[in-house]
Amino acid sequence: MKKYFLYSLFALLLWGCNDDAYINQDPTNILLEDQVWSDPTIVEKVLSDLYTRYPEYQKLSSWYEYTNFTEAFPSALGDYWRVETQSVYNYDLCANWDYDYIRKVNLFIQKAKGATMLSDASRSQFMAEARFLRCASYFEKVKAMGGVPLITEPMEYNFSGDPAYLRHPRAKESEVYDFIIAELDTIKTLLPDNPDMKSRATRGTALAMQSRVALYAASIARYNPIRTSNVKCSPDNGEVGMSGVDPIKYYEKALAAAQEIITEGKYSLYVKKMASGASENFANLFLDKTNNPEAMFVRDYSIPKSVNDWTLNNQPRTSTEESTGGRLNPSLNLAQLYEKLDGTSAPFPSVDSLGNTIYYADPLTMFAGRDGRLAGTVLLPGMKFKNKALDIFAATLMADGLHSGVFGAIQTINGVDVEVTGLDGPAGDAEFGAQTGFYIRKYLDPAVGSGTIGTQSDVWWIRYRFGEVLLNAAEAAFELGQPDVAAGYLNRLRERAGFPANSLQASDITFDRVVNERRVELAFEGHELWDLKRWRIAHLVLNGQKLTALTTTPGKANEPQGNVFGLVPYKVYKPGDVNNGKYYFKQEKPKRVNAAHNFRLGNYYSFINDEIRNHNPLIKANPNQ
Amino acid sequence: MKRNKIQRVVKRKTHSVYTLFHKINLSLLVLLFIFMQTAGNDVFAQDLIQPVGTSVSGKVVDINGAALIGVTVQIKGTGKGSITDINGAFTLSVPDANTILAFSYIGFVKQEISPAGKSFLDVKMVTNSELLEEVVVVGFGSRKKETLTGAIANTTSKELDRVHAVTASAALAGKVSGLSFRQAEGRPGAGANIQIRNMGTPLFVIDGIQKDEGTFNNIAPNDIESITILKDASAAIYGVKAANGVVLVTTKTGKAGVKPVININAYTGWQSWTRWPKGSNASDWMTGKREADYNQNGTSDITTDELAKWKTGTEPGYKSFDWYDFIIKKNAPLTSLNVSTSGGSDRITYYLSATHVDQSSVLGREFVFTRNNIQSNVDVKVTDRIKVGMHLNGRVETNENPGVPGGDDYWLPRFALLRNTPMDRPYANDNPNYVNNIQGHGDTNWGLLNYEKSGYFRSNWRALQSNFNVEYTSPLKGLVFKGNYSNGFADRVLDVHEYTYDLFTYRPSTDTYERTGGSINPYREREHRKVLENVYQGQVDYKNTFGKHNIVLMLATEFSDRKSLRDWVHTSPTTNALPLLQFNDMKEYVDEEVNIASVGYIGRMNYNYADKYYVEVSGRRDGSSKYEASKRWGFFPAASAGWRISKEGFMKSVIGDGKILTDVKFRGSYGEMGDDSSIGDNDYTYVSGYTYPSSTFVNDGTVINGAVDRGIATNNLSWMVSKITNVGMDFTMFDGKLSGAVDYFYRKRTGIPSIKYDIVLPIELGYGLPRENLKSDAQFGGEFTLTYTGKAGDFNYAVGGNVSVSRYKFLSSYKPQFANSLDYYLHSTENRYGDIFWGKEVTGQFQTQDQINNSKIDMDGQGNKTLLPGDLIYKDQNGDGVITDEDNRPIGYPAGKNPITNIGFNISLAWKGFDFNADFSGGSNFCYSRNWELRVPFQNGGGLLQDISASHWKRTDPADPNSAWLSGTYPALRYNQSGLSSYNTNSTFWLTNVTYLRARTIEIGYSIPQKILDKVKMQKIRLYVNTNNLFSIDNLSTVGVDAETMDDNGLQYPQNRLVNVGVNLTF
Repeated sequence: MKKYFLYSLFALLLWGCNDDAYINQDPTNILLEDQVWSDPTIVEKVLSDLYTRYPEYQKLSSWYEYTNFTEAFPSALGDYWRVETQSVYNYDLCANWDYDYIRKVNLFIQKAKGATMLSDASRSQFMAEARFLRCASYFEKVKAMGGVPLITEPMEYNFSGDPAYLRHPRAKESEVYDFIIAELDTIKTLLPDNPDMKSRATRGTALAMQSRVALYAASIARYNPIRTSNVKCSPDNGEVGMSGVDPIKYYEKALAAAQEIITEGKYSLYVKKMASGASENFANLFLDKTNNPEAMFVRDYSIPKSVNDWTLNNQPRTSTEESTGGRLNPSLNLAQLYEKLDGTSAPFPSVDSLGNTIYYADPLTMFAGRDGRLAGTVLLPGMKFKNKALDIFAATLMADGLHSGVFGAIQTINGVDVEVTGLDGPAGDAEFGAQTGFYIRKYLDPAVGSGTIGTQSDVWWIRYRFGEVLLNAAEAAFELGQPDVAAGYLNRLRERAGFPANSLQASDITFDRVVNERRVELAFEGHELWDLKRWRIAHLVLNGQKLTALTTTPGKANEPQGNVFGLVPYKVYKPGDVNNGKYYFKQEKPKRVNAAHNFRLGNYYSFINDEIRNHNPLIKANPNQ
Repeated sequence: MKRNKIQRVVKRKTHSVYTLFHKINLSLLVLLFIFMQTAGNDVFAQDLIQPVGTSVSGKVVDINGAALIGVTVQIKGTGKGSITDINGAFTLSVPDANTILAFSYIGFVKQEISPAGKSFLDVKMVTNSELLEEVVVVGFGSRKKETLTGAIANTTSKELDRVHAVTASAALAGKVSGLSFRQAEGRPGAGANIQIRNMGTPLFVIDGIQKDEGTFNNIAPNDIESITILKDASAAIYGVKAANGVVLVTTKTGKAGVKPVININAYTGWQSWTRWPKGSNASDWMTGKREADYNQNGTSDITTDELAKWKTGTEPGYKSFDWYDFIIKKNAPLTSLNVSTSGGSDRITYYLSATHVDQSSVLGREFVFTRNNIQSNVDVKVTDRIKVGMHLNGRVETNENPGVPGGDDYWLPRFALLRNTPMDRPYANDNPNYVNNIQGHGDTNWGLLNYEKSGYFRSNWRALQSNFNVEYTSPLKGLVFKGNYSNGFADRVLDVHEYTYDLFTYRPSTDTYERTGGSINPYREREHRKVLENVYQGQVDYKNTFGKHNIVLMLATEFSDRKSLRDWVHTSPTTNALPLLQFNDMKEYVDEEVNIASVGYIGRMNYNYADKYYVEVSGRRDGSSKYEASKRWGFFPAASAGWRISKEGFMKSVIGDGKILTDVKFRGSYGEMGDDSSIGDNDYTYVSGYTYPSSTFVNDGTVINGAVDRGIATNNLSWMVSKITNVGMDFTMFDGKLSGAVDYFYRKRTGIPSIKYDIVLPIELGYGLPRENLKSDAQFGGEFTLTYTGKAGDFNYAVGGNVSVSRYKFLSSYKPQFANSLDYYLHSTENRYGDIFWGKEVTGQFQTQDQINNSKIDMDGQGNKTLLPGDLIYKDQNGDGVITDEDNRPIGYPAGKNPITNIGFNISLAWKGFDFNADFSGGSNFCYSRNWELRVPFQNGGGLLQDISASHWKRTDPADPNSAWLSGTYPALRYNQSGLSSYNTNSTFWLTNVTYLRARTIEIGYSIPQKILDKVKMQKIRLYVNTNNLFSIDNLSTVGVDAETMDDNGLQYPQNRLVNVGVNLTF
């Protein structure tokens, strides 16, 4: 009997354990709700994460998005399609329907509101910052899609089987702009008024965003009826196009917000390096992270934990720290927009008035006497980067002509080694070289190691800066019929760029002038596409027409620019000849440039895909698609 | 879920208290055994009759002449007898001359001998190998083969040992029916992708403990006694992880009463790649590039003069370089040495083994895999009722090779073969001191990829599995208690150091080398990983026979938990010289911890009546930490039955004495099992909150780790459920000479996670519905095996083969919706075979430019402007005049999966001392689709394949646009042009429906005759020559890739052809 008792005991031991306690395992990387909302340090981490998801289209981490339009050419095999076969832009170009982010922000606002363990001050600031980020997200959406549903509370599905109550129609485009402008009016008073805060939203940032947002709204309201009147939904409920909306109040708002910043005087133009020249100063504006008075709102990086690959991808071959670089090649289209210092526009002279080729002993001479922002934005042939002079030339011309598809190719001619292609290219259509004759300088990090995979760069990405505020003010003033005010603001920028004082008079201010000033100042800062769109000239500039040559009268806003061009140096090899060792230039399309960019009317507002519309029948499609 | 820090701490505590309790529980168990032992009646002594009358003595030995101790010698019909002593000797008095003596001993064939007047008998006993073979290990027990009612296949060391594979999976090809096999990767230490009936990665159980595929692959194949494959409901005993079948591995143990032996198995072999796509030489490359330039742009920088120089190929700067010859070094050595000893007395049995494997790669000789395994299985009968055992298996596994920047170090050398052009040269001016700066892709310059210049990669796995078991045989007949504790420990140290390097360009006139590139980016990383596992098992077996009723009962519990820890550091060191990581150089640091646990309660009952009717019922209640408390427990039942019709009386009249039809058994099974693999160990889908860290934010120079909302919790997700039905028949004929089995199976899997879409939530909601268990699919097919064993004089032979077919069919998703019938046709998966390759149907190639111009169908979506003669003509399936994705049709079986049909075929012959074995395995009904490097000429600006170079469309004079076109196999060449219709789409032109049969193993051996062995006091000397993958008959030879390669770019490390010589010694 005892035996059976023992057997039963054994069975009990086997079967009677507290197995649920054994199975329960705690996650090691999940913070629970109440662990977060009782501690401002942790709340800050959630907010930080929202900042890292800040929406934007062109940025340092996606060099290739700059090569879709007129600013640059993509020197990478995998990206040639952008100029080789992309004859029309897809309708989903830069589409943004990211409501996941909206929900995250709305949840944050909702929970911060109820977080009684936080101090009033920190709760108020957290909420204002989140509202700022929500403005940024709605701004990005309205730029791309036009009016979108304005969701300002986190919605919850109740599993009832009927989701109809979750459906919201598109707001009018103007309503989205109005929402953002009104929000910014409120939160500018709640955000810290601290110009030294660059990574998080401040009063200054809110105003800067407001001036840009209002300017966008204003220009669409003004130019859509004039240039693209048939860009509207059918029936037109104002989802896109801002028809019937008065542009004036927006221009006034844009000017007022910009002037508030200018008047308050907390930010100013960067001039710390003017002693080294306007170009050097301009380049440094984007590199100098210490007490930079111009930067207002940035995406900051810090080696080693957070870095960007802008320099790794785009560094010149001559000074490359890896076997890579040279991807982004600024175009001649952009380069020739930089005026001569006498205030006139002209192409670069490769031939003289009689049509004879001009030979340059120093290729840099070609670019002398120009707007200092040219050499501050673009690395030109002969310039130095990381102490190495750029070696850009396509081929050496002998009597019988000599070509090579190899970077830095050496050929022995009559017993002498001759470099027959520059180490920086262009070498035919070989990738990672200067196929337009230029490399990018803006944001390119001169620090040792910035071009290595293991280190990379912590140059920051400036989203809002005082220079743009001046441009916003100038444009708004011009549109409001105050050309003298506009000239004043533009002259501040031009003076910093090396022009003499008061280089523009009120009578000089035209739409073309405003546009050109923005293009040369803000190149490679993510404004290109949006400016083209809001002025309603994108379909004129990117009109699908192949070009055989660039315009000889640069500076016109509407000038067709369907193909990007380069200005390619060649080097003479004729020992004994007077021109031996000199350079001459040819305007050339990079080999792979084939299809002409074609921005259609349907591209003004991006495609709202079938999935979005199937999931919410109240969402109306965008026009001309 | 509301918890805070404090609560969590408390819970941790209860957990550890609980663990403690569990440990006590285990020790109680052991105490209990001992207690029961003393409480029970300890009667094991045998009454031995003292000899009277005529005395007979003798000696009992085994086949090798070794004395057998403890052999029972009985006088037949009396119950009287004796046992042999330590020298194998016995003495017995027998009543008369007609006495018959019966000799019996565990594991040996029983013998009956009449002394017939002799006073001394020499008795030689032979092992009963048949008896040993017949027992098949199943989950939580073993069964005689003829009693099995499930689809269970097994293979033993006898078949596995001759493969000489480094990994266990590679040894299994063609050996077992129902096992699909594809060894896509052949790098040192690589295993094969094996699946049971194409159901997915199976569960691996090693000596009763659930392990992963990596552990399975790295057991020393020499130490494996048997591998059993549970293909159907028989796997249900493993519950929530068993949906894809189970592979059970049993390691070798010693045999009681066998003289100790020492075995040495050693071989050394030479490996070469079976196949690799060939690139063209510089002259052909340049010719092709020039054509491409003209085809594309109408001009070319390559002049005819230049071309002539390349053709001559002697002038400096115009020499072709063969990267294949430079990188690939044939006959890479592979050696293996295994020493083992095993034996046992009636109390202790043991098997001790050590194995060393050393495998080099054809990529130079610096890419090496080594592994050392030990296995120590010791079992002790403490008393007649208590048996304890300790089974240890450990390994140290090392991968070492030069560390190269950018991911997989085995990838770059292979990529280099097709990425580098034949004009590129590894060294500047061919001077090995200066690595050449080849255009823009210095990282694929093999000149760099060595320990001296590039750095090193070293990965070490150290793993030890320790099983402690105790078994108590109760006095109640047939009742046995078992307890098992297994501790698993695995540790990885990964060290990578990639140096800075310089690339040079030679300046001929000054005879100098200029540094023109390289990397100043040093990279150092170290990873530590630890896996700590505990498994506690308790089991009760009851086995008894009541007349013709045979019963086996089993109850068991299984508790297992696993903790994985990982930390990883990356630095940019300031010197290449020293390996130590410095804090100041640190770039990244990652720390991870994942814990899981599961509990299973298992029960099984077997009943058979008169070895004629069999029934088995089993169930497992399984719980897993991956799910929320209310969703974590599941019950997995299974049942099977068998009918041995040959035992029926009425069959006796049909099959007679069994000379023709010996044995026939019908069987059927049904079972349910789970699959929790769709949820990761660390997913915690049921917990809401914030993932931390999620991102890195820099706030004015200060780095902050972000935390991100996880979204809504998923409470209603559970495992997928597999229901497997199997019917089969086993038969033997001609007195067991011919045996075989045939099976049909159908697995229906339900509850595949998906999202409901009839409830259409606006995207603006910001989140979607959570995943639920919604979809279902099926896998079905069958197997057939046949083996014939025969003998003609001294000539023994056996031939066997198996065929298995397994297809995948998607059954239903959740309320599918389609816009129109075309949408349904193209995109529906409802009730359709899933293993289909979709693409364009090619009806021909354009012959002339006129034909292109007149084509009514737009091939490239650009009005055919990119087309040239030779480009592919696609069938416009929907007749809309333009080729789009809507013209895709099913054109083949799956690519990148295991074959639908697998076959195996084995021959073994023996004649006197010679033996010959050949194993063939093959597959069919799967596809290979050429792409990237194998499809596009000059992909990435790299090499041009020889077969494309040899036969493609081209103009008579490339430079003359009016010259006539010459036809060829491939379309006209272009240099990385985008938007080309022939190259950018999958079509029948690039697809091969593969069938292959390969000579997996062919081995010839010779064993030295016994006479000579006796002189040198050896038991066995066998020498052999063995080959793996000697040849393959398939239809991919023109493509240039191995038949089992999976990567569509053809750049996978192919299998090796191995020739080796070896020796088996026993003494």
